[in-house]
Amino acid sequence: MEEKINSLKNELDEVFLSFIKDKNEVKSLFDLDLLESKYLGKKSFIAQTLKNINDFPQQIKPLVGKTVNETRKKIEDDIKLLRDDFTKVEYDKKLREEKFDLTLPGRTLTYGSKNIISQVIEEIQEIFIGLGYEIAEGPEVETDYYNFEALNHPPDHPARSLHDTFFISENILLRTHTSPVQIRYMEKHKLPVYIIAPGKVYRKDYDVTHTPMFTQIEGLAVDKNINFGNLKWTLETLAHSVFGKDRKVRFRPHYFPFTEPSAEVDVSCNICGGDGCRVCSGTGWLEILGAGMVDPNLYKFVNYDPETVNGFAFGMGVERIAMLKYGIDDLRLFFENDIRFLKQF
Amino acid sequence: MKITYNWLKEFLDGSDNYSPQDIAYKLTMSGTEVKKLEYVGEKYKDIVIAQIISFVKHPNADKLSICKVNTGKEILNIVCGAKNFKVNDIVALALEGAKIGDFIIKKSKIRGEFSEGMMCSEKELGLSPESDGILILEGDYILGESFAGQTGLDDWVFEIEVTPNRPDCLSVVGIAREISAVTELNLRYPEYENYNNAAADDKFKIEIKDFKLCPRYSAKIFSNISKSKTPFWIRNRLAICDIRSIDLVVDLTNYVMLEVGQPLHAFDVDLLATNKIIIRPALANESILAIDGTTRMLDENTIVIADEKGPVAIAGIMGGKNTEINDNTKNVFLESANFNGPSIMKTSKKIGLRSEASNRFEKKIDPHLTITAIKRFEELLKHITGQKFDNGIYDNYLEVNRERLINLRYNKIKQTLGIDIKDKVVSQILEKLGIKNKINEDYISALVPSFRFEDLEREIDLIEEIARIYGFENIAACELESKFRQGKYTYNQKTIEDIRLALVNSGFNEVINYSFIGLKEFKFFRLDEENEFKNYIKIFNPLNEDFEILRTLLLQSLIDDMKNNIVKKINDLKIFEISKIFLKNDLDKNGLPIEITKLAVLISGRSNLKSWNSNERFFDFYDLKGILEYLFEKFKSKNGLFISNNEYKFFHPAISGNINFDDEAIGIIGKIHPRLTNILDIKQDVFYFELNLDRFIKKSKKEKKFNSIPQFPSISIDLAIVIDDDTTSKDIEDEIYRNGGKTLRNLRLFDFYKGKQIEEGKKSLAYSLEFGADDRTLKDVEVEIISKRIIENLSKKFGAKLRQ
Ligand SMILES: [Zn+2]
Repeated sequence: MEEKINSLKNELDEVFLSFIKDKNEVKSLFDLDLLESKYLGKKSFIAQTLKNINDFPQQIKPLVGKTVNETRKKIEDDIKLLRDDFTKVEYDKKLREEKFDLTLPGRTLTYGSKNIISQVIEEIQEIFIGLGYEIAEGPEVETDYYNFEALNHPPDHPARSLHDTFFISENILLRTHTSPVQIRYMEKHKLPVYIIAPGKVYRKDYDVTHTPMFTQIEGLAVDKNINFGNLKWTLETLAHSVFGKDRKVRFRPHYFPFTEPSAEVDVSCNICGGDGCRVCSGTGWLEILGAGMVDPNLYKFVNYDPETVNGFAFGMGVERIAMLKYGIDDLRLFFENDIRFLKQF
Repeated sequence: MKITYNWLKEFLDGSDNYSPQDIAYKLTMSGTEVKKLEYVGEKYKDIVIAQIISFVKHPNADKLSICKVNTGKEILNIVCGAKNFKVNDIVALALEGAKIGDFIIKKSKIRGEFSEGMMCSEKELGLSPESDGILILEGDYILGESFAGQTGLDDWVFEIEVTPNRPDCLSVVGIAREISAVTELNLRYPEYENYNNAAADDKFKIEIKDFKLCPRYSAKIFSNISKSKTPFWIRNRLAICDIRSIDLVVDLTNYVMLEVGQPLHAFDVDLLATNKIIIRPALANESILAIDGTTRMLDENTIVIADEKGPVAIAGIMGGKNTEINDNTKNVFLESANFNGPSIMKTSKKIGLRSEASNRFEKKIDPHLTITAIKRFEELLKHITGQKFDNGIYDNYLEVNRERLINLRYNKIKQTLGIDIKDKVVSQILEKLGIKNKINEDYISALVPSFRFEDLEREIDLIEEIARIYGFENIAACELESKFRQGKYTYNQKTIEDIRLALVNSGFNEVINYSFIGLKEFKFFRLDEENEFKNYIKIFNPLNEDFEILRTLLLQSLIDDMKNNIVKKINDLKIFEISKIFLKNDLDKNGLPIEITKLAVLISGRSNLKSWNSNERFFDFYDLKGILEYLFEKFKSKNGLFISNNEYKFFHPAISGNINFDDEAIGIIGKIHPRLTNILDIKQDVFYFELNLDRFIKKSKKEKKFNSIPQFPSISIDLAIVIDDDTTSKDIEDEIYRNGGKTLRNLRLFDFYKGKQIEEGKKSLAYSLEFGADDRTLKDVEVEIISKRIIENLSKKFGAKLRQ
């Protein structure tokens, strides 16, 4: 039986060789039709063999079918290719006559936009997630205790007048900063604490440079062995990644009731390069955030040991960062929601 | 606060020369921020001292004169419109090139007469808001010298931001002390060597009712003050510091306040009822006619200065009209007192009046300043009038200890700042700040002086002093290792971020609005009639009536955004907001409201503009529902979503409903009521949904699990039925799913028809159903059996008929 198969294979090889020879002689589509009928037509060896497959013993029939079909496939493919060679030129000539304007506009897909405030928050969150911080949240309507008292603003403290507060009742208010999140978080967590907390804050102030609501991002790191040098490194890292490595960063002493020492952080003005211009009011520097070492008093409110624990906190205005980063010159644009403004970012 | 460079130099000794820029930098970098530094003399370039030597009337203009003016070098011809001068008067002459406001002086012809400059008025020189004629200088001046140099205007002005913890810096002397700490200069604290310390007589009585409200009240009577004008240089210094000149006595009280930091108030002694001053809380229903001409009602929380008839001043804030210094004043009662900071703050807030004086009292100034200020006032007055005032000072003072000993440990400095700093350096810094100290083995003992008593209480306060004087720039940045921590978003935060992104990617713009709205707006949307939204939080002290309450629904803000855009001809809108709403919560023990994060989505206008290859199309309800389905499919499953009818007053009554998720209502959806859009002048349909994101996210934690991809092909059939209009497509779909069982892979409504071709009150729905099995190829017969069952049940339950 094996002989039968082998002899069939030999015959098929011969047929294929002869096909190749004949194929090289083909000069026209007419020749090609003749070639096709000679090798694949009813009278061809391949067709005849398949037609008479029952002459073979039952066991080898599948093998016979498979062997013949392999050769048939090879011949078919060659003929298809050759046919394409002959028809291609004519085909192209015809298609070329269908003129087509590739420059007409495409179908519009309208793009949306994430609010610039959300984008800046996201950018800063990503930086701090990279530094091992978590994102914390807190209520926007707060108690006097969390907004002021536990942050070292006892009643009658002069610093309270810096915050023009919206009150709901004597003890309930709209938070004037995101700092209450510091206290709320420390109350519920043990060391180490590394968080940032973005959110809306409210102050009773409405003019060209103030809106009654704006957005802050608070940061807090409390651990053993954290010092002012670490604060500087962290905020320099932040400033460089938000504004670019080429910007200079400086720390100026300042005053906040809940940090000590306290600092304001400036980056060098990119418009004048530090020589002084209108944007930086002649100083060459742009203020970007406030920061400082957590005042040890705060630890008493959350039952940490002020002798062994150290930490720093910082806070920044998101709109201000966006204005400096993108050159936006009018704060009110942020809450007018003009689509032409929104779509720019 | 504004102060000048020359003024500061009067209190600093030392050979080193620091430019105004150096000083500004040193101050800023040690915590006293200089916001602005300006050369005052810039405005007075090319303005010189000159003398009028003669003048004649202008031949062609009645109101003008032609003057010959001597500049010391030459005689110039000046045409002048003023009348208040005479020959030999000394004037400020603007030469060619000088800038007066926006106007540059040029030689020119005025009505045919040549003029080579301009004689200036005080107003033109920016020294006074009003002036009558040109400025005539009195006293000794050198002709031809620069006007600024001769009048104290050749100076620099610092605009300084003093932080609220540093009342001691609210003065020239205080700032000079700060400068001495960061330079080689030494503070020269004013001493009044020739001062006559005679005791005051008992002609006048001062009574303090409560030393808590007024720890110290010092005063002196200056009798028979001879009439004099305030010297020009003092007026100029005050003008530079934004204080208006009134008269000599008032000008000197202001000058001394700026210089030493102690507010003073002068009364006309002869206008006081009797020779007694009482410092006491005001009585209920008492009032005072204040200097500004308004009558102020007082209450028990206000401290007043009173004579035996009634209040003569609101302590620390404003004097009374009736005892004010005036043109006829001869004898002055000069008050130099110390008042309780918090009460002054409360009163000034309540009255809505903040002054240079109240600002200083609020921050608790040093009671030791009262005497210094009186002495300085006397010295200046003596100098100007040439008079002597040998009577003594009244001083009512309950002395308290205002020194404090603090131990400052070296290791605590290192722990906080991360630097090693020598004990000698620490000691020196403290010394420069006026803090006496002694070096010990592990710590320095420091004695805080009275003028820093309020803000230096603890070790950490001293560490801050060390840090700022040592210089933040001298503390090296030091990496904070993070390798043992992992930062991350919570599931909530991550999902909100993903939802935001999903919407942005489908063409939405994210808006952010104020959390407040007006009560009027709230009522306009009839939220007060909706149980879910009516419990708003009211702001006790709103900015104005548009910001009265906190939002209980985001809808109004998005409608506002829409209106604002329509005004600008932007009519096609896809916007969303993710923000909190606030609902009153009587159950919270602290009284805090419920805060819920909501997603609001609004669409209106055209979804497609007419284009060469597409037609114009307007948004409809189903565009909006599609967004909702998209979010449900992405974050949970579409099948959990169900919209149920529910009429909200702000929605079209037939297109208004709840968004239900697994049978819990978590949002609202609908078309804004045409009545509202009409009133708001919005001439297009508006579709809106608002979703409780907190609930949605809590429910939408989607387990990611692999499902094998179907291997066997599907068979699709179409099914078109006619049903009553009242039957919802949801009823039909639920029935089809129930009968289709596991083999029904998908169902899609491909046609909806209502109209002439079918019976009235009916509608036609056409579905494409896709069947398949996981383990074999379904046979046509099987599908036929299932679809037959579907049709039977639809007809039985809903009277559905197949549509031919
Ligand atoms: Zn600049």
